[in-house]
Amino acid sequence: MASTHLYTYGITDDADVEFEIDGVTETSRVYAVDHGSLAAIVSDSEIMEPDRSDENLRAHDDVLQELLYRDGGRTVVPMQFGMVFKNARALKGVLRGGRRAFRKALNDVEGRVELGLKILAEEGATVDRESIVATVEDRLGPVSVSEAENGLFSDRLVVNRSYLVERDERAAFDEAIDGIIDEYGEEFIVQYTGPWAPYSFVDIEIGAKQ
Amino acid sequence: MFIVDDLLVRPFVSLLNVVQAMAVEELYDTEAIRDDIKENRLLFEVGERSREEYEERRSNLEQQLDVAEQARENLQGKVEIKR
Repeated sequence: MASTHLYTYGITDDADVEFEIDGVTETSRVYAVDHGSLAAIVSDSEIMEPDRSDENLRAHDDVLQELLYRDGGRTVVPMQFGMVFKNARALKGVLRGGRRAFRKALNDVEGRVELGLKILAEEGATVDRESIVATVEDRLGPVSVSEAENGLFSDRLVVNRSYLVERDERAAFDEAIDGIIDEYGEEFIVQYTGPWAPYSFVDIEIGAKQ
Repeated sequence: MFIVDDLLVRPFVSLLNVVQAMAVEELYDTEAIRDDIKENRLLFEVGERSREEYEERRSNLEQQLDVAEQARENLQGKVEIKR
């Protein structure tokens, strides 16, 4: 019989997690593997390298969303797509070795969510990028805790940023976004997404994939 | 005999390497393909591309990416690729 590996979605400090959902792996049960005060949220997987398809990426995020909001919600340090551990022992080893980093990451994102903003110009349009970026910074800086600049992977992208926002500040942030849409919505496409698990605001590298 | 041959051939080999590395870099630019995949996704999300068009492009780009990654892997050690 093939041994079962653990596909990992994220780390929380709540070991009391178990629910059914269509996750990345063939099994639908999502549960916690805990070590000390940390819990990794996993599902059983027969394979070590899941396919990086749209469906799987969405499923990974669906599980994180569920974690963020289910039963009153909780703070989650999200894993990047594709982290599979050979068994619970290997996973617990990582939780033990990285406990300080995980703990710090949990504290950094506690009670906060990630929101995304993209501003996209029409094909071939001439754009004063600097002035738009300055306006966006002026409006969103005061209502966010932190921001991360993401890559401009298309020539048409003028702004691609993620913001870490206090859950309690959501209304103020939404209002600031409305202001940006009012200003730029006619000339540009403004895409406002989220809330996401705070992918862009945790930076923990796990060396060995076991 | 072998040593002499090798020395004579070497300058040509290194020049060839540079030309080849540049060609490989352009032909198998995995970063550029990844950017195209992201752009395709974004244009679909904002409604500029139909689902059909998006999926067709995505499938082509993923194939290109596979080929590029495979090619880079095969050429590793044979041709120096610098980013």
